Amino acid sequence: MSLLQIDQLCYQPKRPWYKLAGDDGFQLGPVSFSLEKGETISIIGENSCGKSLLAKLIVGAETPTAGRILLNGQTLENNHKTQRASNVRMVFRHSAHALNPSLSIGQMLDEPLRLNTALSAKGRSEKIFKTLKLVGLMADHFYFYKHMLSDGQQQRVALARALILDPQVIVADEPFAALDPSVRSQTVNLLLKLQKELGLAFIFISHNLGIVRHMSDRTIVMHDGQIVEMNLTQTLFLDPQHSASKQLIHAHNALLSLQ
Amino acid sequence: MILLDIKNLTLEIESNGVLVKALDKASLILEEGEIRALVGESGSGKSLIVKAISGALPPQWIVTADRMTWRGQNLLTMTRAERRKIMRRDIAVVFQDPVAALDPSATLQEQLTESIPEEFVAGTWFWQKRRSRLDIAHSLLHKVGIKDTEYCMAHYAHELPVDICQKFMIAMALVSQPTVLIADDPTRGMETNTKRQILSLFKNLNKTRDLSILFVSHDLVAISSMADTMTVLYCGQTVEDGPFQSVRKKPFHPYTKALMDSAPSFSPDLQPKSALIALGGTIPTLQHLPIGCRLGPRCPRAQKKCVETPVSRKINQHTYRCHFPMHLDDKGIL
Repeated sequence: MSLLQIDQLCYQPKRPWYKLAGDDGFQLGPVSFSLEKGETISIIGENSCGKSLLAKLIVGAETPTAGRILLNGQTLENNHKTQRASNVRMVFRHSAHALNPSLSIGQMLDEPLRLNTALSAKGRSEKIFKTLKLVGLMADHFYFYKHMLSDGQQQRVALARALILDPQVIVADEPFAALDPSVRSQTVNLLLKLQKELGLAFIFISHNLGIVRHMSDRTIVMHDGQIVEMNLTQTLFLDPQHSASKQLIHAHNALLSLQ
Repeated sequence: MILLDIKNLTLEIESNGVLVKALDKASLILEEGEIRALVGESGSGKSLIVKAISGALPPQWIVTADRMTWRGQNLLTMTRAERRKIMRRDIAVVFQDPVAALDPSATLQEQLTESIPEEFVAGTWFWQKRRSRLDIAHSLLHKVGIKDTEYCMAHYAHELPVDICQKFMIAMALVSQPTVLIADDPTRGMETNTKRQILSLFKNLNKTRDLSILFVSHDLVAISSMADTMTVLYCGQTVEDGPFQSVRKKPFHPYTKALMDSAPSFSPDLQPKSALIALGGTIPTLQHLPIGCRLGPRCPRAQKKCVETPVSRKINQHTYRCHFPMHLDDKGIL
């Protein structure tokens, strides 16, 4: 049995009340795939092909119109937030914008623990210190605010917030887009290390095909709200089948071969 | 011929009564028909150099330079009118963050048609001129790869996706047929396909119209596909400068090496999911700049001598500023 199973997931934006009929606009799916423990799946595709929407559906930020998401064979209900929030966590696209500027890092990390676990205050702060250490921050950072941290450290805090409930799956939407090269390498290393140590499964959306090729086991290509190709990363990069994936990968290779 | 020649550009900003050197002796030369990449991380001062060239810095910041010339004319002592004339016709700039750089109170059509120089417009009567301006605008937008030009031109910047705005900025920069295009992070957030389109457009313009490009970015894959020469900037100091291939194959400065290692596409024999080589620590903030070589605290090769700022040395067109360069023996021989 796979860790996370996405089964015929569909999404259709609700038609506004003043519109009686007509074009419904963008539609996602049906989408199905499965994710094993300790595996990384990357989702690539053009802009506005539904990658971020799929990520939001998986973590439960949006409600799917049809289909199921199974975690270890159990259906994830959209209204059962605790179960969902503690097992599937998300790292948002711009970590700098996704952190609350008026809370200290400690308070920010305390919130998910307070809402989802029965730990005492002491247990919570111990857990926070442990998580901060895990992502390579110091205990002092507990009292820091967002603006006192650099980009890379903010990314680490975003990751700590995702990791603090010991999730099984982490969904990351362009976690490297805002990072500089040297900090990006550090974050890549951190993610790889955490995956090895904790057996995390990643779903990871990116435009940077170099990093995708380096990090992921399998790659999904999306086009127009559909999964058009899914294969082992190395196979896909060497021999893309669908026209959309061919375009992406050939563009990437063309950039590289022009050197 | 050398178009843009900057030597030892220093930019000082006053913060809490102390002068902070945001740029510390940065040097840059752009020759005719060349594509030069200016590489550096955020906060390294790449955008400051772009702004210093275009004259868009706040007046209270102190700019000093040994040399800062455009075709031999000194940019620093020039009057505002002269400088504006150069900026209007010869140098075009694509600024970072297109949505913020475009005028929010005018539709894109108004902005684009306004920036078309008079001499390109055909016709005598205003309706003929209007028609001609629109034709130019449409063909330009097609050229940069915007499909629905009508839709794009009828809207305001904030109503359009970022990648369309980015392409629009490029179109607007190219409208006056400049000699130099300064592109500040033009491929940020673009997907691979679009990126390739834009880069091949730049390359074509470079070949057919002899457009020189200063390509400011930290996207090494994009740079490698088009740049002839490269300048690497770290924390306001130029650390290395030279032909792209030579910098890539044999970087002298440890920072350049780290930059090259950060792109997994550059090392084909790298095992998937293996750890990348990374420098520890992060870029220091302007308030806490280390003395001497600013990479010092993060550098794996740093020694006591690194608290003195290294002078630049040159080996076969390849300039570097480091006390303990890589790929060289003790006497500094390749």
